Amino acid sequence: MTDAPCRIGAGSGFWGDMIDPAVELANEGRIDYLCFDLLAELTMSILQRRKIRNPGAGYITDLAPMIRQVLPAATRNGVKIITNGGGANPPAGAHAIAEVALELGHPELRIGVIEGDDLTDRIQGIRRDGWRFANLETGEQDIDRIADRVVAAHAYTGSDGIIAALGDAADVVLGGRLADSALYCGPLMHHFGWTFTAHDWERIGAALTIGHVLECAGLCSGGMSSQWRHAKDVWRLGFPLAEVAADGTATIEKVKGSGGLINRWTVKEHLLYEVHDPHSYLLPDAIVDLGGVRVTEVGPDQVRLIGMTGRERPDTLKVQIGYQDGFIAESRALISWPDALEKADWCEELVRRRLEYIGVTPLEQRYDRVGVNALAGSAAPDPGYEPNEVDFRMVVKTRTKAEAEVARRALLLPATAGPVGTAFGAPSPVREVIALWPTLVPRSLIDEAVTVSSARELQHART
Amino acid sequence: MRVHDLSYVRSGDKGDIANVVVLARDADAYSRLAQELLPEAIAAHMGELVQGPITVYPMPNLEAFQIVMYGALGGGATRTLRFDATGKSMCTILSRMPLREGEALQ
Repeated sequence: MTDAPCRIGAGSGFWGDMIDPAVELANEGRIDYLCFDLLAELTMSILQRRKIRNPGAGYITDLAPMIRQVLPAATRNGVKIITNGGGANPPAGAHAIAEVALELGHPELRIGVIEGDDLTDRIQGIRRDGWRFANLETGEQDIDRIADRVVAAHAYTGSDGIIAALGDAADVVLGGRLADSALYCGPLMHHFGWTFTAHDWERIGAALTIGHVLECAGLCSGGMSSQWRHAKDVWRLGFPLAEVAADGTATIEKVKGSGGLINRWTVKEHLLYEVHDPHSYLLPDAIVDLGGVRVTEVGPDQVRLIGMTGRERPDTLKVQIGYQDGFIAESRALISWPDALEKADWCEELVRRRLEYIGVTPLEQRYDRVGVNALAGSAAPDPGYEPNEVDFRMVVKTRTKAEAEVARRALLLPATAGPVGTAFGAPSPVREVIALWPTLVPRSLIDEAVTVSSARELQHART
Repeated sequence: MRVHDLSYVRSGDKGDIANVVVLARDADAYSRLAQELLPEAIAAHMGELVQGPITVYPMPNLEAFQIVMYGALGGGATRTLRFDATGKSMCTILSRMPLREGEALQ
């Protein structure tokens, strides 16, 4: 515990993100912690499926290459790594990290593993005890309708496990569905000695706000930005870091000379990104209020954040349940001048009538004229000219895989039975749909287990 | 004039909910947008893209608006049939909304 500022960097914002900016931060960022968010809403279901097929899988496969590249600089500079890349199988992910650590000559690297977020096999039991997992979005009061189609269920967990692992001298902390913001809040709470008490809610709210700004990495340093014209060399985008003071204020910056851009716009864009009620942003560690935050440019690629706050954490944790929800067949055809839009209408009717004729009743179907209305739908104005070509996109959703396979063949017809001059597009393979059921669970039902072992110990445990 | 001329925008998704961040380019733009970015006007502009209610949170501290649109992604990223499953373009679509030019604004 210390009052000295803490420097904390973003290592990744998603599974598949660039790794070199993380290495750059570990080398030159003078950071204490490097945090890797690797999970999106659907990821846990994908990983759970992999784990069912192979008990040694189910973590983010980027973990090993990521650690391989980052670890040399991280160990040299004393940078601790925090990630939710354990996904549906943190112990297996820990073994993958241990193997890399041993290969690189770091047998004493301490790896902390956090478990307890996985509710997949507990849903029925908790349901029987009277908790109904009401859907936060649709308002449906009971999960019964989809209970037999559940693929995965995980609670978004907060900083407790991370604080415990760091307290036990972990160099790498690996969890499952750790909330994105907790990856940052946990280390900051550990560093400053903040606790979940009335004394610290304001500072925890600040830590979460800082975490929220950093958690998508390059998305606050020039990526996905209105400032795209001004962001320099984004092919070597610099990821952001925050220098956080003991009072919870922070400066967002990046390694000098790195690509991208940090200014008040890039920070504000991300400060509000995917937040709903900005005065009541419910996270596992606190309820954040962004109503007093001030964003000020204090130098080139340096933005100061003050005025963050939060209130006591909720008694419930968010749970994301993935469930099987049908299959999708999709294809495209490129329709040429002349009369491309008229031909597209004609092709739409062709496909709709074919599906009807062969007895496929889609749950949903959609036909886009890419280049005209695929994004804006009815909000797109008439193009007002005759296009050279129209990319005709067809998507059909069915209950069963067999129906989707049959529908997929019908999607070839615009080229073979449609107007002359229409270019084939190969239909994509039929894909399974996993829908999400956002819900809550009482915090008291989530019991996290934290174990910290050296890479050598993990290796011995396995053999 | 459109929302685009007065602001920078960004959108994201959670389930079937899209959020659009509108950052006013200056204080005057913020006042003007505060009178224009009303849920009914936004709903009329977005048309069939948004099936549910719309909430607008003005944020004077940031000269920004958080616009939350429910039922806005065709069922949500994992199950929608839309090309833009995660609603990244919802912000630019909104930013094309015309302002009530010529009308007296207070």
